Order: sequence, then structure tokens, then C-alpha cells
Amino acid sequence: MKLQVVGCSHHVSNVEIRERLAFSETQVKPFLSTFYQTFSGCEAVLLSTCNRTEFYAAARNPEELPSETDMVEFLAGQCGITLIDINPDLFAYRDRNAIEHLFSVAASLDSMVIGEAQILSQVKRAYQLATETNPTIPLTHQVFQSAIRVARRVSNETDIHANRVSVPSVAIGVLAKQIFERLDNKRILIVGAGEMAEETLNYIRSDGGRDIVIANRTLAHAEALAETCEGEVAAWDQLQQELSIADLVVSTTGAKQPIVDQAMFESIEAQRKQKPLFILDLAVPRDFDAGIAARDNVYLYTLDDLQRECEHNRRSRESQYPQAIKIIEQETDQFFKELRRRNSGSTIAQLKQQVDEVKQAELTRLMNRLEEVDPKHKQEIEQAFNRLVNKILHPPVKSVQSDSTAGSGGLLEALKKLFQLND
Amino acid sequence: MDWVNKISITCFAASYLVVLGLEVSRTLFNAPYQRIVTIGLTVAGLFAHTVYMAAQGLLDVDANGIWLSNWTAWCFAASWIMAAAYLWVSLRKPESVVGIFLLPVLMALIVAGIVLRDSASFSVNEAKSGWNMIHGFSLMLGTVSVALGFVFGLIYLVQANRLKQKKPQSKLFRLPSLEWLQRCSERSLISSTLLLALGLISGIAINLINQRNGNAVATTIAWSNPVVWSSAILFLWLLLISIFNAIYRPIQQGRKVAYLVVSCFLFLVFELAIVWIAGHAEHQTKTQPETTKSTTTVSFIAQPIQADRIAKEEDR
Repeated sequence: MKLQVVGCSHHVSNVEIRERLAFSETQVKPFLSTFYQTFSGCEAVLLSTCNRTEFYAAARNPEELPSETDMVEFLAGQCGITLIDINPDLFAYRDRNAIEHLFSVAASLDSMVIGEAQILSQVKRAYQLATETNPTIPLTHQVFQSAIRVARRVSNETDIHANRVSVPSVAIGVLAKQIFERLDNKRILIVGAGEMAEETLNYIRSDGGRDIVIANRTLAHAEALAETCEGEVAAWDQLQQELSIADLVVSTTGAKQPIVDQAMFESIEAQRKQKPLFILDLAVPRDFDAGIAARDNVYLYTLDDLQRECEHNRRSRESQYPQAIKIIEQETDQFFKELRRRNSGSTIAQLKQQVDEVKQAELTRLMNRLEEVDPKHKQEIEQAFNRLVNKILHPPVKSVQSDSTAGSGGLLEALKKLFQLND
Repeated sequence: MDWVNKISITCFAASYLVVLGLEVSRTLFNAPYQRIVTIGLTVAGLFAHTVYMAAQGLLDVDANGIWLSNWTAWCFAASWIMAAAYLWVSLRKPESVVGIFLLPVLMALIVAGIVLRDSASFSVNEAKSGWNMIHGFSLMLGTVSVALGFVFGLIYLVQANRLKQKKPQSKLFRLPSLEWLQRCSERSLISSTLLLALGLISGIAINLINQRNGNAVATTIAWSNPVVWSSAILFLWLLLISIFNAIYRPIQQGRKVAYLVVSCFLFLVFELAIVWIAGHAEHQTKTQPETTKSTTTVSFIAQPIQADRIAKEEDR
């Protein structure tokens, strides 16, 4: 089997090139159909995400696989750009390197944020689109199924996906879960209605947060955000009252001075009755006076605190990288070992069939000449022939199998040549 | 059934010890099947624990009608419940390393059971009285409940302290959420108050029955006995906390509950030490006939006296 990949990614191409080579889902099937019309006898998969476009082609025989230039030209042609424009920004890998690359991509080792979870589903979707275009793609099936399995193994055996790395996801997915068991029965106050508030709200909603109230100086912005999350709106002058009943506060205003100082917090403390309060102050400058953090049962985290946590998680993911790479290498070796075993299996089957045909022909000829021999002796002769063939074939077959498993494959090639067997 | 008799304390104690080792190892590295092995060993330990207690007759009701009639049975039963609680927590919160806090308490109970193996049986004259069963059983469950509250309270303080100091959570040292820990602490506080109240009431009932039956010398309690007043103080402390907990909301929140359950445990350790010292002293005194009359105590929390020995001494 021969496999080749050409494409671009955030490692080698800038965003302009990636944009020009990007494909939407609806464009993938026509792209693959055109490819099959041009290069018959091949299999193809197109993976296109915001950070990469990768075009995989596989063929059973080397002569059927398009060259690297053919693939790049085809890709550029489909995007309506010239080869000169994109050639320096592309990468190309063949065979083992291509397999290793796909395994790394699927396991999220090649992603911009190592360990991000979406890439595996994007790889699966790319393969699904390829099978919808051409249902008979056994070679790429083998490669992509292995890639998905490898990605799962990396995920299970390392902590590369374990720690979140964006500020809102760390705040809600990590820190809030250390304080609250569940969010669906918590009063969540969002102060400010900017992008950060919106992004944080997505995580709150996906973790079950329902009782949400948004307070913003511009009421219209609060109403617009409240509509997206089915939340309530509180007037700005109700902030103090809302603070006294909230469990979780996310503050993201652009105020130049703290909007909640120590005096204001002290005034609501009695009403709070020591109920734990988790404050995410994601504003710069800060919205909450730093002194509030010292209050009992108050857990105040600023953007700096969260970024430290994110950085810690990022380093933690990176520390898993060598272990993940080791798994990729092991799995690539295993993939080729399996491939060779399958190849040797089909060659050995061919050899056995060929020898069996010769044996059968000779046996028939002999039996015709020994008509007077009784059936019992005929059976013994037939068994002797079978034993002879098996005994002769056993040592070379065993040697070929162990040679293929070991990775050389030289004996297999020799066997093919000696007995004139096909691939 | 030879294998039943071959099961020793070492079997389940070693299982729990290995589980503790595995819990500690979880804070250092991740290994495949670590969790399955931990759960498997805990189940195996619980099985061996149960079989051992059954085979040694520790679960039997003795001739005086008392269930868990000595310190060893009492400690082993309490440690069994702690092990079951650990299994429940490790299934509910698989990512948390609660075992590091809970298993040492469990091991301490097993060690106490071994150390107190030679102690005499708890004594009562009102044999087969239901009060004795209620007394011993509720005190044992109350003790376990206080111990569990202590574990949850301690974890709460560690977790709250880490969050206050904004230290990142290590992926190898995860603890349950503050909300869950607070809920568990509260529940253990309430249940321990109720169980210890039941233990105390049943102890008073036993004492009153004995007094009415004229068994004062041998088995009634001197109200000035340290065991009595320390039991009463522990109960009053728990009652006070529970009442405050019910009517004054701030005390229900956050670290205060944790501090309270930890203080209850320290109280309990103090109480058990008094019970044991008083019982131990009495046991030694009872072996000397000339001083028999001077010691007349039987604890609210069941106390070791050999009933038959006392009876003989009284006859004399």
C-alpha cells in the first residue's frame, strides 16, 4: 500500500494561505468526486479545518498513486490558485511519514493547542465524507480506523487532554467544579455583557447553569446576552442586591475603577450568611477589590490567577508530549507490521494455491496411470503428496512470516520473484 | 471450610494497607488498572474482614445477650463500616484521593482492635436486654459517623485552603468539591448527634433498670464517673452544634462546619481514651478482691468488666 499526503497547516502556512485552501463540508464531496474522475484506482480523504487542509491519497500499487506535484496541482486547481502561490507553504509526506503524521493529527499532537478535543471528530468526519463519496476505500479505511484508535489510546494513556487551557474553560470547567458540585441550582451573576462574558456563559450553560442573571450598565446589551442564555436581566442599581444572593459571579466590565469595593462587600456580607461565593474577576482593570479575597468563604480569582492556571495546564499537557509521541511511534510500527503480515499472508496463500494446483495436476496424472490400484492405496498416495508439499513449504513459509513481522520484507519479495507471484 | 479459619487479620489489614499505598501512589503517578486494583482489593479486604469477624464469632451475640461484646469486635465492626464508606466514596468520586484521609482512620481502628484484643468483655447484668444492643450499636455507629465527619471536614479544610491560596489543582491529587464535602460533613454531624443521643439515652435506661433491680454495686454507674461526664459533654457539644446548625445559618456554611466536625472527632478521641482508661483501670481493680467495693462504675459507653468475675466476687 502507498499513502501520500499534501497540505497546509498552521505550522507551515499563514492564515491567508489556509483560508484560500479551506474547504467547507459541502465542497468536500465534489472535490473527491473530481479526484476519482482524474485519478482512478486511488482512494482519497480530504481533511479541512480552520488550522489545516490535508489531502490524503492511497493506492495499492505505486504506479496508481499520483505524484506529489499532481496532488498539489489538483488541490490548487480546485481552489482556483496557482502552484507558485502556494508551493512553499505546503508540506508533503509519504508512506511511513504520512501515517505518522495522520496519527499525530488525530491524537491532537499537531494542533495549535495540544490536546484540543475537536480534531478527532474532524478526522472522523473527513473519513465519513470520503466513504459517502466512495464506499469502497479499504486502504484509507485501514489507515483512518488505526488513526482513530491511536488517538483514543493517546487520550487514555496520557493526560494530554486532561487539563483545560482557555481562561473561561478553566474557570468554569476546573475551578467552579472544585467549589460547587453542580451549577443547575446555583444563582449565577454575570456582570458586564462583553465577549468574555458570552464565552464564559457558554461553559456555564454546558455545565448545567440555568439560574443566570445579567447586570450591565447598558441594559440593551444585557438583554441581548440574556436572550441567548435564557437568563434574567438586572438593572445596574440592583447589583448589590444580586451580589447578596449569588453563588457564582463572573465580572467582565470595562470599568476603570473597581465596581465592588470592600465597603460595599461588607454591607452585603450579613445578608449572605457566610454562603460560599466564587468570584471570577475577568476584567482588566479588576472589578473587585483585591481585599475581598481575604473574606471567609469567598474565592476570588482574577484573570492573572486563571492565566497562571492555564499556563500550568499548558505545561502539563506539553509534559505529556514525549509519552504521546512514543505511542505514535509504537502504533506506526505496529501498523506496518500488521500491513506486512497481511501482505505476506496473501502472498503465502497464492504460493500455496499455486503449489496445490501443481500437486493436484501431478496427482491426477498419476492416478490415471494407476487405475488398478485399490482406493485405500490411492488415498495413501494422495496423503503422501500432501505431506510432501506441506513439509517442503513449511520452512520457507515460516521464514517469510517471521521476516515480514520483523520488518525486513526481503524474503517476501524474493518469494514473489522466485515463484512469479503477483502483489 | 478450612479456608475460613485461615483468614486472619493480616489478610484484610494488608489489603487495606495496599489500598492506602495505591492511593498514595495515585498522587505520584498514573498507572493503568490502578483504580480497578484499588476497588478489587477493597472488596477483597471487606470480604476477608467479614469472614474473619464471622469466623471468630465477633458478630455473635454473647452469653449476656450483647452484640459486639468486646473492644476488638467493636473496633473491627467500626473499621468494616469505614471500609464500606471508603468503597462508596471511591465509586462515587473515583478521581478523588479521599482514601489518603479515610484509610488511616480505618487502619487506626484495626490497630486499636488488635491492641485491645486481651481486654475483657463488656459487662451487663441485664442480660438480653434490648437496651444493651441499642446502646452498643448506636454508640459504634455514632463513632463511625463522627470519624467520617472528621475525614470530610479535614478534606474540606485542605481543599478550601488550596483554593484560597489559588494553588493549581494537581491532576494526581484531586479532592471532591467543597459543596459535596460540606454536605457530607453536615450529614455526619446530624447522624452522629442522633446516634450518640440514642447511645446516651439507652445507657441511662440501662443504669436506671440496674438501680431499680438492686444491682447498684456491680453494674450501675456512679454519676461522677469521668466516663459519664465526658460522654455527657460530648453529647452536649454535638447537641449544641446541631441546634446552632439548625437555627443559625452562617454556622452551616463553609469552613465552620469543617472545624466543628473536626472538633467533634477530637472530643470523641478524648472520650474514648477516658472510657478505655477508666475501663482498663477498673478491670485491673476488679482482679483484686479487696478493692472491689471501691469501684462500681459501668460506663455510658460500654465498659469492660467480666460479668462472671464480678458475680463471684459479690458472692464472696
